[in-house]
Amino acid sequence: MQLPAPIRNLYERWLARRLPPARQIVLDQRRIFIFPTGYGFFYLLVAALLFIGGINYENNLILALSFLLASLFMVAILHTFRNLSALGIRNGGSESGFAGEEGALEIVLFAQRREHHCVWLRWRGQDDQQISIRRGEEESLWLNLPLAKRGRVMAPRLKVESRFPLGLLRTWSYVSLDHYCLAWPRPEESLDCPADGGKENQQAFSSGQSGNDEFQGLRSYIPGDSLRRVDWKGYARGRGLNTKQFEEPVGGRLWLRWDCLQGLGEEKRLSVLCFWILQLDPQRQPYGLKLPGLTLAPDTGDVHRWRLLDALASYPDF
Amino acid sequence: MARIYQVPSHTRLWLALAVVLCSLPQLVKGPLWQAGLLVLVILIRWLVEQQRLMLPGRMVRSLLLIGAVALTFYSFGRLYGPQAGVALLVSLFALKYLEVVQQRDAYVVVVLGYFVCATALLFSQTPGMFLYVVLCMTVLTTCLVGINHSDTRASGLLHGRRAVVITLQAVPLMVVLFLLVPRVAPLWNMQVGGDKARTGMTDSMSPGQISELSESAELAFRVDFQGDVPPRAQRYWRGLTLSHYDGRTWQQAVTQGQSESEYLYRRGTEKPDWYQRLESRYSSEQQRYRYQVIAEPTQRRWLFSLAVPFPLDGDMALAKDMRLVANQPVSQRFAYRVESVPAAAEAIGLEGQERQLMLSLPQDGGSRARGLAQQWRLESGTAADSARDIAQRALRYFREQPFHYTLRPPRLTADPIDEFLFRTRRGFCEHYASSFTFLMRAAGVPARVVVGYQGGEQNELGSHLLVRQYDAHAWSEIWLDGQGWTRVDPTGAVAPERIELGLREALENSEDGSDVLDDLGLRRFSDGGLFATLSQWMDYVDFRWQTWVLGYDSAFQYEFLEDLLGAVTPVRIAIALIVAVTLLMGLYALFLLWQSGNEKLTLMEREYWRLHQRASERGRPLVAGLTPMQLCQAISEQWPQAAVAAENWAKYYQKLHYDPLSPPDKQQKRHLRSLRNRLYKLLD
Repeated sequence: MQLPAPIRNLYERWLARRLPPARQIVLDQRRIFIFPTGYGFFYLLVAALLFIGGINYENNLILALSFLLASLFMVAILHTFRNLSALGIRNGGSESGFAGEEGALEIVLFAQRREHHCVWLRWRGQDDQQISIRRGEEESLWLNLPLAKRGRVMAPRLKVESRFPLGLLRTWSYVSLDHYCLAWPRPEESLDCPADGGKENQQAFSSGQSGNDEFQGLRSYIPGDSLRRVDWKGYARGRGLNTKQFEEPVGGRLWLRWDCLQGLGEEKRLSVLCFWILQLDPQRQPYGLKLPGLTLAPDTGDVHRWRLLDALASYPDF
Repeated sequence: MARIYQVPSHTRLWLALAVVLCSLPQLVKGPLWQAGLLVLVILIRWLVEQQRLMLPGRMVRSLLLIGAVALTFYSFGRLYGPQAGVALLVSLFALKYLEVVQQRDAYVVVVLGYFVCATALLFSQTPGMFLYVVLCMTVLTTCLVGINHSDTRASGLLHGRRAVVITLQAVPLMVVLFLLVPRVAPLWNMQVGGDKARTGMTDSMSPGQISELSESAELAFRVDFQGDVPPRAQRYWRGLTLSHYDGRTWQQAVTQGQSESEYLYRRGTEKPDWYQRLESRYSSEQQRYRYQVIAEPTQRRWLFSLAVPFPLDGDMALAKDMRLVANQPVSQRFAYRVESVPAAAEAIGLEGQERQLMLSLPQDGGSRARGLAQQWRLESGTAADSARDIAQRALRYFREQPFHYTLRPPRLTADPIDEFLFRTRRGFCEHYASSFTFLMRAAGVPARVVVGYQGGEQNELGSHLLVRQYDAHAWSEIWLDGQGWTRVDPTGAVAPERIELGLREALENSEDGSDVLDDLGLRRFSDGGLFATLSQWMDYVDFRWQTWVLGYDSAFQYEFLEDLLGAVTPVRIAIALIVAVTLLMGLYALFLLWQSGNEKLTLMEREYWRLHQRASERGRPLVAGLTPMQLCQAISEQWPQAAVAAENWAKYYQKLHYDPLSPPDKQQKRHLRSLRNRLYKLLD
C-alpha cells in the first residue's frame, strides 16, 4: 500500500516522533498497534451472519453462539496484544559488507515478563523471519541489510509483528534501533599500488614468502592479534596465549596511502584502497593504511583487514 | 508473504478432532453415508500425513464432491431445505478438510466448523447440546491457536490449554452480550420443520385413544405460575372441545355458517359480542391465575390452558369455546403467557344453532341410554335447576353401579354407549366423558366433551408444573342456565383419586394395579430415591433453560432490562453494554498483563533499597550495585557521625541475609528495621 507522498511524509514524521531510535526498546502500549487481519474481518462477518441467522430462526442459542464468537474476538485482542507487549529488543552485532552487496545486523530479543510466540521481524521490502522467545531468555536473529553505498548504513525501521494466538488480529510495532552496518567501498581494480615502503610495486612481495620473517620471540596475546601468529603449540602446553613476534620484513613496512592517489575522487580513492587491501591480505605481508586523520599500523590477518576495511567504510568520521 | 506454510504437525490431530466433533450431532441423525464419507476422509488424511499416500488430486476431490451431492439428493430428494442443506454443509466440511494444505484452507475449515455447530443448534436446543457446541468451539479455537503457532517445538496440549483459557474468558462476555444486546424482530420468517411425529392429542376422541396416550411419560407442557397455583383437582388444562358425535367418535364442530372472525378473537381485530361480555367479566373478577406455558411441539394449533384463558401474548387467538389457538402449528417448543379467570365462563351465551349442535345425537345407537336419560328428565321435572339435577343423577348412576376405572378396558364393538353403560362398565376417562355427554344430550341438557390434561406434577425445586402425556384426560361440560358452561368430570365419580392424586395413584389402587405401572414405566419423580432427585434436578435445569435461555425473547429482555436499568432506552442499554464489557475486559487486561510482572522484591531486598534510596535522596546519588558493606562505607563517608550506626545495620543485615540455615524471624526483622530507623535520623 503506497500512500501519496505528502501524507506518507507526515506519517513518517509522526512515527519518528512517536518512536525515536534507541539502542534498546521494550515494547509497551505506546508503541504497539493492533488491527484485525483479513481473516479477523471474515470471522466477524461470520459472527454477524450467525447473529442474523439467530434472529431469523428466533433461536437464542445460535445468537449465543454468535456472541461467543464476538467475545472470543474481544478476548483475542488482549491476548494478541499481550504477545507483543513487554518484548525487549536491542542491538546485537553487525556484519559489514561491500557496498552494493548485503550486510547483516543482529537483533537481540529478550523476554523479561512472559513468553512471546511467533514474532515476525522484518524491514521494509524483506521477508519475515519468525522467532519465539521463552520467558527470561534471549534470542537473536540476523537480518540482512542491502548496502546501497559506502559508509554507515543505519538500520531501517524494523517491523515487529505477531498474530498469535488466534490470527484474528495483527499487532505490530515499528522499532527504530540506533544500530548501523558498515558498507565497505566497492573494490575497484587499479594497477598501481598506492603504497610506499617496501618496494614500490606489487611484484616486490608477490613471492610472499614467510622466509622473509625472522622469528624474534613471544609476547602475550592482545585481542586483535592475528590468530595465525598465536603460539598454539605453546598454548596447548599450557603456557597461555602468546603471539609470535617476527622481525620486520626485509622490504620494510608497507603503507597504503590515501595521498598516493592524487587526482581521484574520494570514493574512487577508497575503492582503490579497498582493492589493494584485498590484494595484499593473502600475501601475509604486514601492511598499514594512512588516511587523512587516521593511521593504522601494519599488520596481517583477518582482524587487521576488517579494521582497515571498516576504516575505509567510516571515512571521514572514524 | 513468501513463507511456505503447512499445517503444523502438532495441530493436525486437533483439526481432525474438530472435524469429527463438529459433525457428530449431524452424523448421528443423518444418513449413514455421511459418517462413511467422514471416515474415508479421515483415513485418507491420516495416510497422507503418514506419507503413504499423495494428497488426492482435483479429480478425486471433484468426484467425491459430486458423489456427496448426488447422495444428498438421493437421501432427501432435494438439495435445499434445512435437512438437506445441513447434510450438504457437513459433507463440504469433510471435503474441505481433505484438501487442507495451507493456513488459509485451515481457516476455511474452522469457519465451516462454526456453521456446522450452528446447524446443530438448529435441531436441538438442550443445555447438553449447547455445552457440546461450546466444547466444539473450544476445539476450533485450539485449531486456530495451532495453525498460528508455527514453532516446531510447540505442543498440542498447550494449544488446548490456551484455547480453554480464552474460551473461559469469553464466556462471561458472551453472557453479557446475550443479556444486553437488544433482540431484533426477525428480518424474514424461517421455520425449521420439526416434522417428526409425536405422541399427543388428536383432534377427535374415540374409545381407546386417550388410554393410548396414558402409556407415555413424555412431557406435554410445563407451566410456571406467577402467584397462586390452583389445587390439583382444579387443574383442568383444556385443549379442545368436541361437540359432534357420530356414534363412535367425538369431533370438533362449529355451527354452520359461522365465520372464523365470529368464532375467534385475535388481538387487534374487531371484538365479537361474546368477547366483549367476557372482557367485562375479566375486569370484575378477582380470582385469576397468571402463568406461562411452555408447550412441547405438537404440530397442532391448539394450546392448553385453564378456563377461561386470556392470552397475554400476541401470537394466538381466543376461541368462543374458551380455548386458545396458536397462529401457526406448534412445531418447536412454544412459550405463551396466559391469565385465566375461572368465573368468567358464565358470560358466554348459547343460542340458536349452537344450542342445537350441543344437543345433537346420532340417529341410532344407545337406545337404552336414551331411555335412561328420558327417565331422569321426567323425574327431575321442569324446575330451573333440573339440568343440574339430571347431571347429579347421572353421576350417582356412575358411582352406585359397579363401574371400574381401568387402563385396559374391554373392546366395545357394536354400540359403544349401551355396551359400556350397561354391560362392560369398565373404562377409562374417555368412556365416561363420552357416555356422560351422551346421556346429558339425550336428557336435553346441552353438553360437550372436552379433551386436555388434568393435573400435573410439581417440581419441588422450582414452582413449575410438569404435565405429561399420561395426564391426558377427557371430561364433559354442560350448559346450565345462569352459570353457563360448567365442568362435570364423570371420571371423578368413579375414581376420585384420579382427580385428586393423579393417574398413577388411581391405578395403584385399582384392580389392574401396579403391574401396569411397571409395564408403562410410569414410576417417575416422587417415588423417592436418588433417581427421582436426579430427574427432578434435570427437569429443573431443563425448565430453567427453557424459560431463561430459550425463552429470553424481546419481551422478557425488556422486563429484565427494566428491572436492571430502571427505564429501557437505547442510550441506557448502550451505556450498560459498554460499562459491562469494559469492566470485564479491564479485569482480563489486569489479569493478563500484570500477572507475570516483575519479580517481587523480598523483604530483605526492600530493606536494602529503602536505605539506599534514603541515602541517595539526602546526599550524593549512589550507584545501584553496592554491597551492604559498600553502602555502609558510602554513608560513613558522607555522614561521619552515622558511621557506627551504618556499620551496625550492615553487619546485622548481612548476618540475617546470608544465613542459609534460618530465614529471619519476625523479631529479627523488627530489630533490623529499628537499626535502619536509627540510621535514618543521623542522615541529615
